[in-house]
Amino acid sequence: MICDPVSLEIIRGAARAAQAEMEALLERTAMSAFIREKKDFYTALFDAEGAMVVGSDLPIFGDIVGPVAAKFPLETMRPGDLYWYNDCYGSRGAVSHSNDQVFLAPAFVDGARVGFVMGWAHFSDIGGLRPGSISPDATDHFQEGIIIPPVRLMRAGETNEALLEVFWRNSRFPTQSQGDTRALMAAVRLGEKRLEEIARRFAPDVLADAFAQLLSRTETIVRQKLRATFPVGTTRFTDAIDSDGHGNGPFRLRLALTRTEDDRFILDTSETDDQAIGPVNLLMHPDVPGMALGLYFLQGEDGQVLNAGGPRALDEVILRQGSLLAPRAPAPLGLRGITMMRLLAALHGLVATARPGEAPAAHSAYVVVALRGMVAQKSFLMSDGVGVGYGARPFADGTDAVYFVAQENYPVEFMELSYPVRLLRYALHEDSGGAGRYRGGCGVVRDYEVLVDGAMLAVRLDTVVNPPWGVADGMGGGTGSAIVNPGTAGERRLASLSDGTVLNRGDVLRLATGGGGGWGHPHDRPAATVLADVQGGFVSAKAAARDYGVAITNNTLDAAATTALRATRPAAGAFHRRAYADVLD
Amino acid sequence: MPMSSTEPRPLLVAVDIGGTFTDVTLQDTATGQAWMAKTPSTPHDPSEAFLAGVLLALEGAGRGASGIGRVLHGTTVATNLILEGRTARTALVTTTGFRHVLEIGRADLPRRDNLWAWIKPKRPVPPEHVFEVAGRIAADGSELTPLDEAAIPAIAARIRAMGAEAVAICFLHAFANPGHEQRALALLRASLPDLAVTASTEVLPVVREYERSMAAVLNAAVMPAVSTYLGRLEARLAEAGIAAPLLLMKSNGGVAGSAAIRRAPAQTALSGPAAGVVGARAAAEAAGVQNLITVDIGGTSADICLIAEGRIGLTQSGRVGPWPLPLPMLDMVTIGAGGGSIARIGAGGALTVGPQSAGAAPGPACYGRGGTEPTVTDAHLYLGHLTPALLGGRMALDPALAEAALARVATPLGLSLEDAARGILAIADNNMVGAIRVVSVERGHDPRGFVLVPFGGAGPLHGAALARLLGIRSVMVPQAPGVLCAQGLAAADLRAEFSRSIARPLATATTEEIEQGFSRLEAEAAAWFADEAVAEADRGGARVALMRYAEQGFELPIPWAGLAGLGEAFAAAHRALYGFDLPGIAVEIVTLRLTATGALHGAPQPRPTGGDAEAARIGTQPMRLPGGIATVPVLDRARLGAGARFAGPAIVTQLDATTLVPPGWDAMIEPTGVMMLHARD
Repeated sequence: MICDPVSLEIIRGAARAAQAEMEALLERTAMSAFIREKKDFYTALFDAEGAMVVGSDLPIFGDIVGPVAAKFPLETMRPGDLYWYNDCYGSRGAVSHSNDQVFLAPAFVDGARVGFVMGWAHFSDIGGLRPGSISPDATDHFQEGIIIPPVRLMRAGETNEALLEVFWRNSRFPTQSQGDTRALMAAVRLGEKRLEEIARRFAPDVLADAFAQLLSRTETIVRQKLRATFPVGTTRFTDAIDSDGHGNGPFRLRLALTRTEDDRFILDTSETDDQAIGPVNLLMHPDVPGMALGLYFLQGEDGQVLNAGGPRALDEVILRQGSLLAPRAPAPLGLRGITMMRLLAALHGLVATARPGEAPAAHSAYVVVALRGMVAQKSFLMSDGVGVGYGARPFADGTDAVYFVAQENYPVEFMELSYPVRLLRYALHEDSGGAGRYRGGCGVVRDYEVLVDGAMLAVRLDTVVNPPWGVADGMGGGTGSAIVNPGTAGERRLASLSDGTVLNRGDVLRLATGGGGGWGHPHDRPAATVLADVQGGFVSAKAAARDYGVAITNNTLDAAATTALRATRPAAGAFHRRAYADVLD
Repeated sequence: MPMSSTEPRPLLVAVDIGGTFTDVTLQDTATGQAWMAKTPSTPHDPSEAFLAGVLLALEGAGRGASGIGRVLHGTTVATNLILEGRTARTALVTTTGFRHVLEIGRADLPRRDNLWAWIKPKRPVPPEHVFEVAGRIAADGSELTPLDEAAIPAIAARIRAMGAEAVAICFLHAFANPGHEQRALALLRASLPDLAVTASTEVLPVVREYERSMAAVLNAAVMPAVSTYLGRLEARLAEAGIAAPLLLMKSNGGVAGSAAIRRAPAQTALSGPAAGVVGARAAAEAAGVQNLITVDIGGTSADICLIAEGRIGLTQSGRVGPWPLPLPMLDMVTIGAGGGSIARIGAGGALTVGPQSAGAAPGPACYGRGGTEPTVTDAHLYLGHLTPALLGGRMALDPALAEAALARVATPLGLSLEDAARGILAIADNNMVGAIRVVSVERGHDPRGFVLVPFGGAGPLHGAALARLLGIRSVMVPQAPGVLCAQGLAAADLRAEFSRSIARPLATATTEEIEQGFSRLEAEAAAWFADEAVAEADRGGARVALMRYAEQGFELPIPWAGLAGLGEAFAAAHRALYGFDLPGIAVEIVTLRLTATGALHGAPQPRPTGGDAEAARIGTQPMRLPGGIATVPVLDRARLGAGARFAGPAIVTQLDATTLVPPGWDAMIEPTGVMMLHARD
């Protein structure tokens, strides 16, 4: 062991500090609201061969360096190089929709490569069919914006400005694109400098050994936990997304995790449904399930980092070409988040099947509405990411109103200052959290009044037909909806994946998002907690009586009636989606 | 309260209340002479120790209460209430449709937390105590729907019925037009005269409703307790015949009168580390040091601040516990590394240090109060960086207990005790270095051009090691590094920020409108100066334009010296800070800010009175160095006079801290009393 435990911890801390610096720079200098307000960006450090060593707690990354190395052999790289791509098919899903730009720089000490640094951010518009580049209407990946194959944006410090010009010219919002690009480049350069400093301080071979240890540490923990969780044999779980926005669906994700006698772990996804016409295909890099399980298994493991050690804990991932998880080009990919969120729930479903009661219940898929049009002769793009409820856990309620890892909502005041809308309501979505000993998190309700004529709306909602499941006697979560002019004669319910709806001045869109499933029997939730849920607008009095057996009148607990209601305890089951079931299909 | 009087009142008294002791510094502003007093804190009623300490100091100085011209105090009452969730029962009145504004927040799952493990913290006001009222202001400040004043009495009745002690009001877009908030404030104050009522725009008139609502709620929720607390202090002072104004440290590093703090106690919530930084700056200024990085290391945390050209930056990205509190505060970073930080072995054999801390109880293992896990302090003791007695012999440290604790990590890792101890310090130092880098890069500075100023009880043990890691060659240890807060209080000026959003493209901005904007701010400042009774000659103000590229989310403060050259100054600042600028992209002036200061003319730094290093030598002790055990001199700081010089390795002890001078460093006492350490190589 070249790197002692002390240096190892110092290197881990220094890598985290480098990430914090890069993120601070990006947040402060980027221009699009997607990056600076919603914070849709991530950073990571890699070893000299390109394995991600210190990443973000976001389980959607595949092998980031590989696609670059395939085109620009590692030995040809030089100090001051900067590589870039967003090519999903060209990277086997290392990035999985084209809005995500990957900027990657190698770091050198005395001419020897010591590692790589990544800055990754969602760019709000890169061309394509509709403003925002992502649309439920897309049927072809080429409609989802400009594709940048792995390219060398900088060679030894010299920038290929023409390449940037082409990219910016393909955006409907070129100034934002320019600002975001410069910010990301500066952040990566900063990270490169920090990685060099770390390598110089400890010597490159010590750094390399530290990185190897961090990788093997994560792999060891994930492997141990896989062994502790799954029996020898095959564990199966099926979950489903509702539709592809083109009249097809549901699409089922069928996972089969096999632990062999000699403790090899094989994840087989090949029975998953065929790929979709619409843009819900997830080009899943084989590293992704290992990253996702890694995030799950690293809960409570302070001092560990999610990295490429997670994927190494899985010995094989089987994909079927032409399936929803391994689509053939040029199937559209823009809304792959929907399928990604189901995949994460399905992986928890495997755990819940093997170890009843251990895993969290399912969550809703995060929701985005996009409104585009013209205001004062300028085009605008309001792309609003909206939080949902997450699944209840064996130790706590599910989280209310969260989008996904580290991403923030747009404040109402920011929305109204920036876009021609007025928010009439932003509240928790009552009764959307699945009932249980621990309640599923609630989604939200957001009412938008449109202040301009002829604005085009896109909606992406999932888990409406197939709500998030409850677990271990807990009930499933509530569903979302998008309704125009609710409560009026002109009320209409929009398809949950849809684009092209034209809204005019005075129209109101009511967007409600889904919740998370519950964990444990609802009758085991203390009545006082249910009372607080009702008083706080999480649960209605009606649902309190029906699901929890708790009688509440005028925000006051009726103890006698509650005892009567709880005298008969409804039968429950391992999973619940609209009804209890031992196995979900 | 008037600050001038016919009688000469040259004394100032600064009181810092800690968990264990209350420290009082009495200073004569005319002569610079200072007296200190220490008395046990009285947590059941801190004002007891407050007064006892003041009287003790007066007695020690042989002076009378009537000579006191001002009383300075830093309080963590508000901070502790918030952190411990013990705030007053509070209601929030909000705009119809936004009852869950606190509950939803920013959907802000922290970036380094695990999505599946994270538990959303309980809000200080639950949704059942949030009341909606109709009325709507648009983003541009125009009124869309009048305030439903008729609904307020019923809301007041419900607030009364819930047993609230405090009420916060936050309406959408109040930052653009506070009319509705002010009206609701008047109505609620009238119907709930015995409750603390506050409006968001009184606390923080900035955009983003969650953050502003939270600021209003936290402000309201600490008002009753802070008001009671200040009332008690003032009663005690009056009792003792002290007729001087009570001034309190704010998060921005300035002080304000108690009336202002009663209105906006949230302004003190991030003030904990501020006084020390102000004290460090004052000591540095006296020593002619303009560029410094301060590291205040206590038992559980370290606060790091960068001061460039004598100026302390402000930020509005502060947090108290899990809550954002975007009031102006000193721009610093706090990390969980201190003398009490515990070393543990994590999964996979990783040695980690902190953020868990042994705190004051049980404290480090060597304190002998029941702690068994190894801490940073235990590592220092084992290596011989600390003498076995602290606080002038009042506290004995037990090396055997430190060894036993260190063995708990050393043995499983196959390390010697010495390597484990050194490792714990190296990890703690590196955590701090990471934070220092964040502070410096965010301000676009290379730390190598700075002097490191360590303070706090544990700071001077780490100063030289941190400097070495950062490439810094000079370390300045203040005269009383363990009680620098009191000196900071004594050195602080009255300070307040006034700002106005103008959101104007630089290309179309005119000198006239900007001058007008600043003039309005100066009028507000004039009213504040009058409130705080600041004499004309003591008034100061700095004008700053907060600027950004169009569509960015963060602004940079650019000193206002007219429109000419403003764009270039902004681009240069952007380049310096972030490494690039964006030629050809429009620049905006978002906000005009005026920082108003009322100079209080704190006392000059006390001069050191001791002699040379030989005279200060009070013993020797063994120290474990990488090359083996060496016998190193132990010097008494109080006996080191100006000009005293010595070389490391050495240990300098004083009542409030121990300084480690490692091999390769030379130390010298400056005429102003600070001890400078210089790297020899």
